Amino acid sequence: MRLEPILAGLCTGLLLSTASLADELPQRWISAGGAATEWIVELGGQDRLVGVDTTSQHPETVTALPSVGYQRQLSAEGVLTLAPDLLLGTEEMGPPPVLIQLEKAGVRIERLSASSELNALEDNLLRLGALLGEPERAQLALEDFHRQLNDLQRQIKLASKTDQPPGVLLLLGVGGNSPLVAGRNTMADWLLRQAGARNLAEHEGYKNLAAEAMLALDADWLVLTDRQLRGVEGQQALMAQNPSLAASRAVREGHLLSIDPTLLVGGLGPGLPDALRQLSHAFYPRLQEHRAEASQ
Amino acid sequence: MLQAQQVSVARGGRCVLGDVNLALQPGQVLGVLGPNGAGKSSLLGVLNGELAASSGQVLLDTQPLASWQGRRRAQRLAVLPQSSSLSFAFSVEQVVRMGRMPHDTGMAMDEDIVNEVLRAVDAGHLAGRSYLQLSGGERQRVHLARVLAQLWPGADGQVLLLDEPTSMLDPLHQLSVLDAVRRFADHGASVLIILHDLNLAARYCDQLLLLGDGSVQACGTPEQVLQPAHLHRVFGIEVLVQRHPERGHPLIIAR
Amino acid sequence: MNPVLNWRVLYPLLAALLLLAVWLSLALGPVSLPLADTLRALLNITGLNLTEVQAQTELIVSQIRLPRTLLGLMVGAVLALTGVAMQGLFRNPLADPGLIGVSSGAALGASLVIVGLSRWITLPVVLEPYVLSAAAFAGGLLVTALVYRLGRRDGQTQVATMLLAGIALTALSGAIIGLFTYLADDSTLRALTFWNLGSLNGASYSRLWPLLVVALGVVYWLPRRADALNAMLLGESEARHLGFDVERVKRELILCTALGVGAAVAAAGMIGFVGLVVPHLMRLLVGPDHRLLLPASALAGGALLLLADLAARLIVAPAEMPIGIVTALIGAPFFIYLLIRSRG
Repeated sequence: MRLEPILAGLCTGLLLSTASLADELPQRWISAGGAATEWIVELGGQDRLVGVDTTSQHPETVTALPSVGYQRQLSAEGVLTLAPDLLLGTEEMGPPPVLIQLEKAGVRIERLSASSELNALEDNLLRLGALLGEPERAQLALEDFHRQLNDLQRQIKLASKTDQPPGVLLLLGVGGNSPLVAGRNTMADWLLRQAGARNLAEHEGYKNLAAEAMLALDADWLVLTDRQLRGVEGQQALMAQNPSLAASRAVREGHLLSIDPTLLVGGLGPGLPDALRQLSHAFYPRLQEHRAEASQ
Repeated sequence: MLQAQQVSVARGGRCVLGDVNLALQPGQVLGVLGPNGAGKSSLLGVLNGELAASSGQVLLDTQPLASWQGRRRAQRLAVLPQSSSLSFAFSVEQVVRMGRMPHDTGMAMDEDIVNEVLRAVDAGHLAGRSYLQLSGGERQRVHLARVLAQLWPGADGQVLLLDEPTSMLDPLHQLSVLDAVRRFADHGASVLIILHDLNLAARYCDQLLLLGDGSVQACGTPEQVLQPAHLHRVFGIEVLVQRHPERGHPLIIAR
Repeated sequence: MNPVLNWRVLYPLLAALLLLAVWLSLALGPVSLPLADTLRALLNITGLNLTEVQAQTELIVSQIRLPRTLLGLMVGAVLALTGVAMQGLFRNPLADPGLIGVSSGAALGASLVIVGLSRWITLPVVLEPYVLSAAAFAGGLLVTALVYRLGRRDGQTQVATMLLAGIALTALSGAIIGLFTYLADDSTLRALTFWNLGSLNGASYSRLWPLLVVALGVVYWLPRRADALNAMLLGESEARHLGFDVERVKRELILCTALGVGAAVAAAGMIGFVGLVVPHLMRLLVGPDHRLLLPASALAGGALLLLADLAARLIVAPAEMPIGIVTALIGAPFFIYLLIRSRG
């Protein structure tokens, strides 16, 4: 009987102390950016997430959180219902008047860079680390990320001495309809080059290409990504709708790859090195052999 | 009083009306007759200001018609077009009351006038109905009531222009409607009416104007205008002209 | 046909509906607030400061819900009123404020800015909504002016020619918007899409003022042209013979619609069906007489838009749905119902 008040007192004491510690750090987060959400989870901050936007699809556990809608169309009152103390997103987050209202309501707003450059990633990760109170962990994650990319680059460099870098097209499918081809200055282009491929498409942005033009480029590999249909299903749908593609050399040789479409939006996420490894291993079958050499 | 002085109208480079002179007299009904394409509607158009005269002028009182400002003109001159494109579900009274828009006589008086003119055109029983549910002839009477309401009760100096007001009416209503127009003119207003039925024109008009090929072929009293030679020249019909046994006006019988 | 409801009954009903809609719009939202707190916060806005209210409550009521409610009220009333005006001008109950090219022009201006901002121009983020609104407004006015010019012949405005010019320019605007869409990157594309669906989200007092001026003008002026609109339904020459300066009336109606719809679209994006369905419904209730129809449409338009916005805010909370989806979801089936009914 006597113990209860003591225990209760102890508990409150504990709670108070953690509360005062956490005072400086935001405890209730809303993340409005796919890559940022992935990094938050990666850095162990999942418990703080109280809501995410529609671009946050990874890891799957976050999709169970309340959705605040599309990052450009946030609702002031909707966000407030989750009583967040931090709204984290990219520069694309909006609309601006809503952000102003939220700031007035005492919600801290942090904008990360959505650019797919390594410098931006470094800055983003270090800020996330600071906000989470885990600067060391962020630093480690960053170093690990860099190391993985650098290792891969070295391996590819070695491999490309013996093997020609393959010519590749990345097709953004829309449920099997005529696909968009990723051109210059896209995240997809960066991805292909990082994986050691030559992007055969030379236009800017994502564009439809004429079926003939696509055949004429005679790609060694086709990389597919589809918003609605994943994996084999997406490939089949695309082939069914585009018979000319089905006749291409890459398809005949079975040189088809699929990647997750979320890799292409919202900046560099933690899943990137893995995806790059998969691509490059397909592009350079003998990459495995060079691995040992590269790490020496 | 409305006057046309040597009015000509050209449409698309073609002269559709040449050198027309006419003056509407207070308390008189002027009938305009003529075959299709004779220029009747052009005459009406130039008299009501919708068409510009290519030469000559139209005067209301002594001023050019164009110099009359909207409301003031509407209090003096009312026009009934051949057909109406009204396709909204106004009630009959609402349509007729629109005739009172140029006036500020107040709701109560407008209400009385609406009822009077509806009775005058034998459409009192249509009150409360939706315009869209009326037959063609009923609609025509409602619009006639509307233009009558615009000038009601009719006085010297007012002008009413009617384009074939009986075209869709049954025989009984042709008579009753023209009776109403006649009574309206008796209060002092000048009326111009385009008609196709020669016998109706003979019966109700004080003066007739016979148009053919864009110019005046004959003008005067019904007796002067409705002569077999004129009618043959203008319409290409052979007729006998007799006297109405009871009323005395000319009676046209096709041979 | 007599109106279904006497206006003496209908007006109080509509006024009550509008008040209810305003109250719901202020009292309900994703964040549930006690009614008493909402009331206190509202009283505090008047400057009386009778009672203390939580800062959060005060902010939600006075900075988020109240400007949003005012915006919805004005946009709804303006769209409905201009819808009546266009149906009168074109003597067609199926006309819509978009017919004279305002909406497509506004969309053109908006897409120019949305795509341009991402590619060619750099602006402080805070200015973006203002520039977007200004471009939409200017685009709407410009295209309408062009439609009007094309409809002029021999000093007269040919309504039928204007209608065709409106269709042609709408198609042209659509093509240019398509070109922008082609140039747009992924995120810009989504911004365009969302703008086209309309939203009252992010309403703030500073952005209300331009619309307020225009809305007051429209609400004041259009009902004063009720007689002229009635006469126009008889036909243009009939209206002239009833003493109206028809050319002037047409010019004023077009200007009024261009300003009203332009300002509404600039403030809230494209919101369809309000300008078509509200006048239609009110005509069934009070009849076609514009003296009754215009005020009734303004009241009902405001109320309908507020209720639609309430749905937009609540259905997928804490996110929110574009209001254009809600109005079309309500409007289109209702319109189909009207078609079936009028056929039967």
